[in-house]
Amino acid sequence: MAATQSNAADSLRLESISKAFPARGGEGEVRAVDTVNLNILPGEFLTLLGPSGCGKTTTLRLIAGFETPSSGRILLDGKDITNQPPNKRDMAMVFQSYALFPHMTVFDNIAYGLHLRRLSRSEIRTKVVETLELMGLKGLGDRRPNELSGGQQQRVALARSLVMEPRVLLFDEPLSNLDAKLRVQMRSEIHRLQRRLRITSIYVTHDQIEAMALSDRIVVMNKGKIEQMGTPGEIYHTPATRFVADFIGRANFVDATVIEESGSNLVVEVLGRRFTVPAKFSYSPGMSVVAMLRSESLTLRQDESLLQVVIDQAMFLGSEVEYVVNVGTKQIVVVEQDPRGISVFDEGQQVGLDFAQEAIHLLPA
Amino acid sequence: MEGSFASLNVTSERYEVFTLLNHTRYGAGFRRIWQDPVLAISLLLVVLFIFVAIILPILAMVGASLSEEGRALFAHYLGERAYQDIITNTLVMGLTVATAGTAIGFLFAYVQVKMKAPFKRFMHLIALVPIISPPFAVATAIILLFGRNGMISKGIFGVRYDIYGLTGLTLALALSLFTIAYLNFKGMLQALDPSLEEAATNLGASKWHIFRTVTVPMLLPGFAASFLLLFVEAIADLGNPLVLGGNYEVLATRVYISIIGLHDNVAAAVFSMILLVPSLTVFIIQRYWVGRTSVVSVTGKPTGTPQQITHPVVRWVLISLVLGICALIVGIYVVIFVGSVTRVFGVNNAFTLEHFDFVINGYGSEAMVDTTTFAIVATPLAGVLGMLIAFLIVRKAFWGRNAVDFGTMLGIAVPGTILGIGYLIVFNNPITLTLPFVGDNVPAITLIPKLTGGRAILGGALAIIVVYVVRSVPAALRSGVALLSQIDPAIEEASISLGADNAVTFRKITLPLIRPAFLAGLIYAFARSMTTISAIVFLTTPQTRIMTQQILNETEQGRYGNAFAYCVILIGIVLVAIAILYATVGSTTGAERSLEGGA
Repeated sequence: MAATQSNAADSLRLESISKAFPARGGEGEVRAVDTVNLNILPGEFLTLLGPSGCGKTTTLRLIAGFETPSSGRILLDGKDITNQPPNKRDMAMVFQSYALFPHMTVFDNIAYGLHLRRLSRSEIRTKVVETLELMGLKGLGDRRPNELSGGQQQRVALARSLVMEPRVLLFDEPLSNLDAKLRVQMRSEIHRLQRRLRITSIYVTHDQIEAMALSDRIVVMNKGKIEQMGTPGEIYHTPATRFVADFIGRANFVDATVIEESGSNLVVEVLGRRFTVPAKFSYSPGMSVVAMLRSESLTLRQDESLLQVVIDQAMFLGSEVEYVVNVGTKQIVVVEQDPRGISVFDEGQQVGLDFAQEAIHLLPA
Repeated sequence: MEGSFASLNVTSERYEVFTLLNHTRYGAGFRRIWQDPVLAISLLLVVLFIFVAIILPILAMVGASLSEEGRALFAHYLGERAYQDIITNTLVMGLTVATAGTAIGFLFAYVQVKMKAPFKRFMHLIALVPIISPPFAVATAIILLFGRNGMISKGIFGVRYDIYGLTGLTLALALSLFTIAYLNFKGMLQALDPSLEEAATNLGASKWHIFRTVTVPMLLPGFAASFLLLFVEAIADLGNPLVLGGNYEVLATRVYISIIGLHDNVAAAVFSMILLVPSLTVFIIQRYWVGRTSVVSVTGKPTGTPQQITHPVVRWVLISLVLGICALIVGIYVVIFVGSVTRVFGVNNAFTLEHFDFVINGYGSEAMVDTTTFAIVATPLAGVLGMLIAFLIVRKAFWGRNAVDFGTMLGIAVPGTILGIGYLIVFNNPITLTLPFVGDNVPAITLIPKLTGGRAILGGALAIIVVYVVRSVPAALRSGVALLSQIDPAIEEASISLGADNAVTFRKITLPLIRPAFLAGLIYAFARSMTTISAIVFLTTPQTRIMTQQILNETEQGRYGNAFAYCVILIGIVLVAIAILYATVGSTTGAERSLEGGA
């Protein structure tokens, strides 16, 4: 993990931030954000990832200043901004609904914040024109937002924030209103821009692919708390909890038993076979654990020496084939890439299941 | 007539839905408001306005009615047969008007939305005419058409029909108030998801079966809301019972007579109190019960076009009914216009402009100028205040938000006479503050000068303007709330995120976006100020003449020609003002949409 302890290089820091709302319909309160500690480095692209209601958007709104935390502090460059109103924070937010000003042209939308900074007309003009060009919006300055396509609207929303050159850029699920194809395109565009401009960015999404594609670091949230924080690779390959493993990627969970310890490694029995894997937490022999196996790490082939499974369902998805196979006590999902090169098995067929020892990631039961 | 187009409104639930969705925003709202001085001052001014101009007069009226003298009168009135009859009369009239008005409103809306019909645009405009119509106009015209010497009753059918009383009142009030029901039903019918009817058809239901089992049940809250609102409007109405009541006395006229004829404020307060109970009860039922039980989906755009009613018999019966009512309304306005240029309508039908001369150059010119001036002053105040309160209520989740909303709505929920009496009681003397411990030689500080009666400040003009504002703000508030609830709050947050404070955001983003609601609020404010009578009838002084009051005087003296000339000029002024407002404030399409949506 990149930055667990605070240091001077932090750009933005959240210190045990909590936010409680009165519970809907009466008594008590709901902790939307629960003692969150977070350090965001300068130029970093950090994603808050989680299912709806996990507190990620509230966290972002706390950073933006649209909400005031119930407790805790927020620091920007070492300065306490917890009670600073949102318009005084050097941040700009890109909204899920774009939130373009419908009564203004594209040009005026982008110039809005610059006017508030009392820049000269010519300065504003230069900056807006530059930004329009950067965002591929050249020639659209006189249009109204409702005359633009969804993708163009998204670009204007982004341009409006970028032109402010804020210390921190905040994104609230900016791509979720776009159709699938455009979403992928805008994703790579945001990636390209951020890597080029290196503006510290905090990005909220529930789309794990988007999170992995864009982020330097991902923060997985659940029920107001941080479940895990790490690079996309760490989160994907070595999830800390079953929740994280389940939320990101396709994972199978199978029961496993610890046989013995050998140095810093463990011998475990998974699906009737023994493997030696690195110990990530403390074990004792005989303990029941859970082994996570990514679907794409599993492979099927005709081999009598392997564990024999029955194919319950086979779905051809173009770039891959997804099998639901029965391993006796439960079903697991196996994905075979590029089905052209391999034989596609039929439902009801019995085949062998194989995986490498590196595919196993142990989690507490 | 003084319609509270304000408090109905299907769309008001949108804002309830919105607040639910945005529950997450609740917490910091209040603290935020006090961090921003502009916002804090605005809220303070709003609260002060609601308290001084609305709550205080109502409380004063209630206080007077509960004084020792008042309590004795209560026992007297409630125990005596003659007074019990007045109460019964009032309630019966409320019921008949609410039933007839709701029926006519539904009929107009159903034909408008669900049928191909000729003259649809015409029907729509006719349904909106009562908004700009002065009081007494309809009642007086009805007397001339259906009264003892009526053109239709005596002239065509040869009967000496007595229109005075419940029949005449029901006719006049239903024709004046059905607009409320019409706009309500029209909005609901258009919002009704057509796929529901398609689903029913798909399952084999006939049109009649769908009407009974889908359309009407979905609209039940609309029926309840319209009925209740019309009931309140009817029992609060003063103008029509004064002209058309005959021996049929109602509470509102009793209040009027107690003040104007008997100068008995306490008796008036007691009658007002008796009138206030059903009004307020119905208002609260409407607001907290009906408002919450609506099943009309308001989440998105309709998924298809509403199915049309094509059955020829059904169609033509309904269309004929609507056209018949339209003809009646047109007839009424023809009488008003012709009556204004005829020496004595029905007796000496010679053409004359003397009535207009009387109003424009003679005795009436002062009333014309005064009324218009006051309305011009009150209109922008009501419009801005309405938008401001709407903004605070929808966007700034602060503690007491509901109280502010409720307090503002009280301005139209209570009968105008009650407000008038309250003003008489509270503001007939200056409200002063004597500082303690400073001795007698320091004069008391005048907080609010004398606003009503003789020697009132500005000849009582200030009180009248304030009442105009009080009666108009609720409509502006509701249309503001309805529109604001549909605007994504992220748009305002984006502005703040880009560095704008609340004041700049309100001016540069919010206000331009709610311009249609603003325009609707201004139009209603002007039209209502020009046509209101019950709330200001006790507040006029010899120095301030108000057109509606003059119309009442002329009608009571039987000088219908002068009264009609006033009406024609009043309608003319309102139409010109609407045109000017459209030209200066309005984007036509947006404003029309918001107006037609029953803002």
